[in-house]
Amino acid sequence: MVKFFASVRACFLLCLFLGVLHIVMLAGLVTRFGETMPQVVKGEGALAVMFGDARETISRAFVHKADSYYHGGVDIDCHHLSDRTHHDHGVNHDHEGCDHHDHDCNCHHDDHDSDHEEHGDAHDDDHDDDHEEVVAFSDDPWRWINVHVCAPEIHKHLDGAKSVELMPWLWASVKASPHNIDAWTTAWHIANNSMNNKKLALNVIDEGLKHNPDDPELLLCRGRTFYDRGRGDVTAARAAFLVALESADRVLKRDGDKGEERIKWVRKFAQTYLDEIAKKGNGLLDVLE
Amino acid sequence: MKLFARQTCALVKLSFIELWRRNDIFALLLLGLALMVPLSMATPFGAGGASRYLDEMALLLVWGFSLFIALGAGQRLFPPEFDSRTIYPLLAKPISRGRLLVGKYIGAVAASWSALAFFYVLFVGSVVLRGGSFAAELPQAIVLHFAFVALAVAISLFGSLLVTASANLSLSAIVLVGMFFFGRNLPEYAEGLNPALAWALKIVYAVAPHAEFFDMRQRLIHGWGAVDYGVFMTVLIYAVWYIFVVILLADVVLNRKRV
Repeated sequence: MVKFFASVRACFLLCLFLGVLHIVMLAGLVTRFGETMPQVVKGEGALAVMFGDARETISRAFVHKADSYYHGGVDIDCHHLSDRTHHDHGVNHDHEGCDHHDHDCNCHHDDHDSDHEEHGDAHDDDHDDDHEEVVAFSDDPWRWINVHVCAPEIHKHLDGAKSVELMPWLWASVKASPHNIDAWTTAWHIANNSMNNKKLALNVIDEGLKHNPDDPELLLCRGRTFYDRGRGDVTAARAAFLVALESADRVLKRDGDKGEERIKWVRKFAQTYLDEIAKKGNGLLDVLE
Repeated sequence: MKLFARQTCALVKLSFIELWRRNDIFALLLLGLALMVPLSMATPFGAGGASRYLDEMALLLVWGFSLFIALGAGQRLFPPEFDSRTIYPLLAKPISRGRLLVGKYIGAVAASWSALAFFYVLFVGSVVLRGGSFAAELPQAIVLHFAFVALAVAISLFGSLLVTASANLSLSAIVLVGMFFFGRNLPEYAEGLNPALAWALKIVYAVAPHAEFFDMRQRLIHGWGAVDYGVFMTVLIYAVWYIFVVILLADVVLNRKRV
């Protein structure tokens, strides 16, 4: 018995020693090479140091989970089992990752949102029509069971107040990697467009800007919330779009030809919004005159 | 028959006492509470009202805990009896090895089911307390989960007769968890591999226990409705058939084993 406890104590002391050694080595490495380490996720705090780039992957996994919640719990990895073709039938919805929401958030002008919603309805109808099973039990019984248990016969999107169910996963995503801009903009899209909760949308963007100061995409989203399809605070929106435009210009100037496509896109849309505000402003002046 | 029932009842009682005396369940319960209570208090971005993530996490814990208990229950059936040599008085009584195996298996399954039922009572209670409700998919989900637990006990029991405890628990957990998460995608993974590996993967797909068949968590959380009863029965038949084959193999191994 004494031998047993002695060996347990020895193991414990060895683990303790290795743990301390590990922490000291990590701290030393971070202090010495912190600036030059090729980390995608910038290291702030112990969690960042511990998980490093893995946080980016974890963060993307949470966004993927939010995407599956958006589709009523249907995971795209599971849905392909049924060989249904409705994801490819001419609707430009990319369900990989959460590009779908990015698509909504990034590529749609406010005035086009209603079109998109109508388009989305048609899309849903198509889903319902196209649900014909192609997997037969005799072909592959395991696949047949999986299709029926895992891939549902229905296709629905969470909208309105129910969209709040996506928020915990997006929150977890930005906690894992605060520099995952897709996660911030998706959370903003859900709050602003699906839940129609402008206060929550601004909370999301403000929090995002704390971690990513001057990010052009977040600034553009902030402007869009203020603008509210021309019904909101146009002056605040204009100021936000100007800041977004300046920020995008700065980033593009810094990166040169290697500038990200999304930043070019932000710049273009900030400019479009500013032109639209200017046009509406002139129209108002014409009316007053 | 009466004797068999009496012997089985005695073994079931023993398994029950052993499982609940070990306090594993209460330790797991405390761990679950430690995870769930902070989660339930979270208000992401200041937005309240989300509940599906709580259901998802709770069900994931229930699945994880039930697997832990099932594998442990299956593992503890025979090796301790061999080590402490208590297998001799057991076999000295007029009881065949096959009957001992089946009796012990039923006992372990019953004990694991009792733990699972306890977890489900807590889960349903927490959902009802939060103002939620379940439809037709809940009984199906519970029955399939019970079938999965019976399958996990059988696999663990079979492994315990072949390899050491740590190897058995590790291998069983890897196989079941691996199939649970990746089983349905194995044919897709096989497509990109060289022919030999692809064939190996296809054989794994054909014979490995498809734990993912029993997973109705997403249906439960998102309210998709019940599975078609034909499919439900097919999965149950699959479970019964798989358990039968595994127990039969375990019987062969036990009968050939020198004690």
